[in-house]
Amino acid sequence: MINFILMVNKQGQTRLAQYFQFLSVKERMTLEGELIRKCLSRNESQCSFVEHRGYKVIYRRYASLYFIIGMDLEEENEMAYLEFIHNLVETLDKYFENVCELDIMYNIEKAHYILEEMVMNGQIVETNKTQILAPIAVIDKAKDE
Amino acid sequence: MDQIFTRSLSDIVKLSKTTASYDQLTFQTQLITDIKNELQNKSESVRLQALLKLFFLSMEGNQIRWAEFLVIGQMGSPEPQIRITAFLLSHLVLDNQSQGLIMVTNILKKEFKSQYLEASSALSCFGAIANKDLGEQLFEEIISQINHSKPIIRKKVVAVLSKIFTESPQLIPSNLDKIIQLLKKEQNVAVLACGISLFSQVMKATPSIYPLIIPIVYDLLTKQKSNWLLIKLIRFSNKLIDKEPRFKQKLIEPYTRLLNQTSSKSLQYELIYSVMRYFKDYNLLFESASDILKQFLNHQDENLRSLGLECLVQIQNSDGINAFQDQLIEGFKKGDYFYKLQILQILKEYTTDKNSDIIIDFLLAQYDIESNSKVIEALIQIIQMNKFSNVNDPEKLMLQQIPMIAKKIDSIENAEKLRDLIFDLLIRVPDLQIYSHKIFMEILNGFSEISLNHEGPTLNIIQRSQQIKYSLNHREVLFKTLVMITGESTRLLDIDSLTILFNYLHDGDFYLTFENSILDLDQLIFKLVISSAQLHKDISQLNQQIQMSKIIYQKLHQLEIIGSQLLYESILLQEDFSLEKVQKYQEIFNKELPPIHLEAQKMIKRPIELDEPFEIDLNEIQLITQSDKQQQSSQNLEQKPPQEQEKVGEQLKDVELQQQNQNDDKQGLQITQEQPKQAPKQMRIIKDDILPPGISQNDIQQLNQDD
Repeated sequence: MINFILMVNKQGQTRLAQYFQFLSVKERMTLEGELIRKCLSRNESQCSFVEHRGYKVIYRRYASLYFIIGMDLEEENEMAYLEFIHNLVETLDKYFENVCELDIMYNIEKAHYILEEMVMNGQIVETNKTQILAPIAVIDKAKDE
Repeated sequence: MDQIFTRSLSDIVKLSKTTASYDQLTFQTQLITDIKNELQNKSESVRLQALLKLFFLSMEGNQIRWAEFLVIGQMGSPEPQIRITAFLLSHLVLDNQSQGLIMVTNILKKEFKSQYLEASSALSCFGAIANKDLGEQLFEEIISQINHSKPIIRKKVVAVLSKIFTESPQLIPSNLDKIIQLLKKEQNVAVLACGISLFSQVMKATPSIYPLIIPIVYDLLTKQKSNWLLIKLIRFSNKLIDKEPRFKQKLIEPYTRLLNQTSSKSLQYELIYSVMRYFKDYNLLFESASDILKQFLNHQDENLRSLGLECLVQIQNSDGINAFQDQLIEGFKKGDYFYKLQILQILKEYTTDKNSDIIIDFLLAQYDIESNSKVIEALIQIIQMNKFSNVNDPEKLMLQQIPMIAKKIDSIENAEKLRDLIFDLLIRVPDLQIYSHKIFMEILNGFSEISLNHEGPTLNIIQRSQQIKYSLNHREVLFKTLVMITGESTRLLDIDSLTILFNYLHDGDFYLTFENSILDLDQLIFKLVISSAQLHKDISQLNQQIQMSKIIYQKLHQLEIIGSQLLYESILLQEDFSLEKVQKYQEIFNKELPPIHLEAQKMIKRPIELDEPFEIDLNEIQLITQSDKQQQSSQNLEQKPPQEQEKVGEQLKDVELQQQNQNDDKQGLQITQEQPKQAPKQMRIIKDDILPPGISQNDIQQLNQDD
């Protein structure tokens, strides 16, 4: 089960955070700060899987943004979640057309919506980009009308 | 009108970037006030922007639970966009303990029956915030949507049911059948994947339902092509195999087909993981998986290498893992620190006597400062494993491998582990005690070599006199142990071995640096002498060894230095330390030191750009002359002809140095002549080779002409 999904930049600023278990704001800030420091301290020759505070953490860097997934320590397919991160980025890229950090900052509700279509209750529910973006396309169309 | 003055999310983001850090608190306080006001505004667009700004506040690390009732109020808004945004925000303002959940119940009930987009958002919101009570209250509404025409609704219903069944397992028996019927006819991959996740949760609560699930899982495994769904199916199948081992037989064919067909790394990893763990006895499948595993272990991608090791550990069998020994060794050479740690962990647990020699020799040959400590720890553990069952050649271990390990050790923790290892071997295995003196000498030679070459991370054993602060370091931990064990073993040694040891201690110096072990060495020497006395029949040889032991003892305790250190103390503490003796010592200490000999002065070259005139003190030169004369008469040296003499004294009688008068630029020499009572002496230097530095014969002639 996924416990949290984060998008954090190199300066430690969180651009998107979705938690699937309850953590207080203070705990979240501490966790996010520790995770980004841990990710920054690793070099490219090291694998993308670490353990931190009882979570199995999978991360991947895209430009200045780190996509971080924290899961339970029980056996999970890390490679699959690494590919899920890439799937998420591709979906965001498809929607925002060459996505960057600012797109997520200025359209945070859209980013949340896309993530919610992909992950529910800590489980990945959808990986097909077309299926994920279909509802949000309808909403955008209704909004324009 | 309000819309003109309301700041949108974009405005807030831009303002936040331009606001100074010390103004941030003010900015956020103002923003919270604005949001509270805007959420009660009549305009829908204003309220929508306020909700979006709440997202921003949350990302900035602010607590937004104060907006709980305001957001719940927006969930009931007539505008779909606002409702959807409020549902998205719900997980940030509500949790399963919130009191506002009571108010959400009716809103969600109504929303489940509306348009599929709003229903989908409502289901997502429910999944994020539901607790046991809310789940039971809304269960009927949710389960009624299970056959919805839209797959997005069906998918979310199944996902949400997973959470309800986890909180309220009593609902499972009466409703599981509906879900099984849904999945049997379902075509949508996302719904099927959610269904497998649901089964996984249900199995945790009621494991006995597995016979109902196995047929569906097998059917999906044989027909589905979506990698994501296949990964979930394989992972779930592992849990089914634990419950029903006969299910393994059915899985061989689909697994073999998938292994041969798929190119997806994540699916391959899942398959290999499963095969290594459950299918060790099925040779064909195991070999196919092993080939792919070897590719993983040799892959350039560090993620695949790391996952390969995870799969390898699932074999849980030494012979199976040791078949991948070459890949592990290659991976260790190329991998980084963390990869090496993973490999060392595997080697520690699964090295056997069949491959221990290769592994130990390989690890001994490695030298990497970063991982050295961990390698040593692994080596010691491999040697000690299963009461030294991995040791095939004890002599090689004692005389080669242990000294090499001792040479590489760089921490006290590892030194203590090696110390315990040496204890175990030499004390508990009597036949090995005869090697104790050889190990002692080998290890000491190794330490000596490191110190002389200034190798290794610690240099606090260099020379005794240079140690300012001394602390018991890792080498001394081992040294003390070896000295103690060697001392205890002397009674087992023969005459030749005792002689070798005596000669080693007599000829060598390096052990003197272990200052904290002097008493231990005293004991060793004593035991050596006692053992020699018991064995030697020739008294002269015994006497020789006793003399050697005395010399070693003197070296250890540095009696000359101690003697000289005690000199002043012994003088001062004399009982008859009288005034006469004080005067005698005064003469020694008050006597003037002789001046520096002129020949010695000649050795010092005059600085090239020195423009300052220097003075020759005639009295000083006379003193030098007289002291030379006295020295010469006492030594009875043959006098050489005057021209060849380098004695300044005879030359001084004929030396004539004329003053060179320079007016303002102060160049050349100025010779000061003291005004003795006798007639002033003129100095004329005849030969260049005895001229003071900076003066040539031409200068003298010029001066003479000027005069």
